[in-house]
Amino acid sequence: MSWIREGELSLIERLSANILKAGPMPKHVAFIMDGNRRYARKRHVERQEGHTQGFDKLAETLRWCLNLDIREVTVYAFSIENFKRSKEEVDGLMELAKQKFARLLEEQENLEKHGVCIRVLGDLALLPLDLQQAIAKAVVSTRGHNKCFLNVCFAYTSRHEITNAVREMAWGVEQGLIRSSDVSELLLSECLYSSSSPDPDLLIRTSGEVRLSDFLLWQTSYSCLVFQSVLWPEYSFWNLCEAILQYQLNYLSLQRARDMHKEQQALQQLEADRRCVAELLMHSGSAKGNGKDPQSRQEHLLTYAADREERVRSFLEALQLQRDSYFNDLNGQVPPV
Amino acid sequence: MMALVYEFVWRILHALLHLQRVLISWFRIRLWNWRLWKRAVAALLVPLALGFQNHKKLGTSAGKRGLRRVRWGADGKSLEKLPLHVGLLIVEEELHYTDIANLVVWCMAVGISYVSVYDNQGIFRRNNSRLMDEILKQQQDLLGLDSTKHPVEFLNNRNEKQDHQVLSCQPVVKALSPDDGRPSIVRAAQELCKAVEQKERRSKDIDVHMLDSLLRDSVHIPDPDLVLKFGPVESTLGFLPWHIRLSEFISLPSHTDVSYEDFFSALQRYSSCEQRQGK
Repeated sequence: MSWIREGELSLIERLSANILKAGPMPKHVAFIMDGNRRYARKRHVERQEGHTQGFDKLAETLRWCLNLDIREVTVYAFSIENFKRSKEEVDGLMELAKQKFARLLEEQENLEKHGVCIRVLGDLALLPLDLQQAIAKAVVSTRGHNKCFLNVCFAYTSRHEITNAVREMAWGVEQGLIRSSDVSELLLSECLYSSSSPDPDLLIRTSGEVRLSDFLLWQTSYSCLVFQSVLWPEYSFWNLCEAILQYQLNYLSLQRARDMHKEQQALQQLEADRRCVAELLMHSGSAKGNGKDPQSRQEHLLTYAADREERVRSFLEALQLQRDSYFNDLNGQVPPV
Repeated sequence: MMALVYEFVWRILHALLHLQRVLISWFRIRLWNWRLWKRAVAALLVPLALGFQNHKKLGTSAGKRGLRRVRWGADGKSLEKLPLHVGLLIVEEELHYTDIANLVVWCMAVGISYVSVYDNQGIFRRNNSRLMDEILKQQQDLLGLDSTKHPVEFLNNRNEKQDHQVLSCQPVVKALSPDDGRPSIVRAAQELCKAVEQKERRSKDIDVHMLDSLLRDSVHIPDPDLVLKFGPVESTLGFLPWHIRLSEFISLPSHTDVSYEDFFSALQRYSSCEQRQGK
């Protein structure tokens, strides 16, 4: 079973898709694909069969998303908590993942045609080495594509992701690239695994569970959350349409809340810069005199903000380099110049 | 041409959905009014039947409060699982302090130890004292408790260093704003980075547990197990992103005129949920 399923929508599906597309569409949708095991129990098949069908459903859903002009999808494939499951099941899931990532490489042409870029988010060091290598191959080989994006969260929890971002920033401080006062909401977002994606507009969880289960906690603060009772392997095009309809009904209020949050964020940054400038002026006795009039204070503020942005930029560059080289090393390739 | 047709159909579809929403909320209010009417009639008839015996009436109302307290307490015990910490998340334009106060008092009466109240404009946080006054008033109204005998602890400032111990029987109520969400994680990150800057810590040592303990207050409050969301917006709107990892979300249409029955049925739904924690 391949990653992108070929095929078109039926006439009635196409019609509905076009109607939906007349309204505001989510650009980025996240899925918690829950219910594979319950599905297997219900159908009296092996648990592993449930997981396989779940993967097939993902391929189908990706096609629907493409047809609906949704260019970015993030899925929760395996949580760090899932390592607690029986060894047999964990091994089965790792094997399935390895197969699917290997399969991906055979489908290069197809992925290139659709311009699919695959990213894997999570603490990959927790995975067996051969799986890490398969993942690195898939990530490196699709890195250049930019039409649609599939983010697979593997060995992931949101708390680990946030903690990792804090650790990266602390590393930047250690290296003297940034100062502790440069830490901000925006910078933390840039240090998350998901730094290259916008926050999801819509989060869908299937199988009737009403929790986030440590998935994208930071990123979904202002997303539309839709909990659906259908089991993941039984997910249909119409379920997806229903979720999008929910998003459209919520669109204006969410937009307003998001704008308000952005304003707050900018205000906080300005506040922080002011504090830092005031502190700097206090410490440097010579500048004390000219720091008092508002105009020179404003100038100081602007220079400080420009300096801060420069520090942050070079830190993020170093961070990206580090991340790229992790995949390149695993892949045994020479880093691209 | 086709695009216009699609847009037309889309508009009709959404108009219908909005109409459905309005109708549902209208019926809800109608139903509520009808219930109020029944109550009003009953209230009118009761004093007539008692023959204007004022002292007797006073006695029954005090007795009723006592009964209610006992009933609510028993309701809480009848549930298989009761949340330790409930988040009341209000995603509506209009805020009603009395209704929120009712909800908080019901939470206390069924035996929930921690209650957080949140709105994404930080209105409750700014009007903290008004909310707390209202809660005390409703507590006396509904339960007839002497507030000095059953003190409620109000936490309003995260920087406040409080030395007191939280007793298990003493409910804690807290008003939260978006500032307690992502910005509080940023403050914790700054603190850790500062420690690294001053060579007190190494970046490698930072782990989930360390960040988690920084994000808890001086008073140890557990993560909310249940978030009751009131209003039509399907989002958390920035409510404690770090802490809602395992919280169950239950939506209610509005907090305006919310009834004890609505509240209790949400608790019953929570009680029947099973958590697998990754397994």
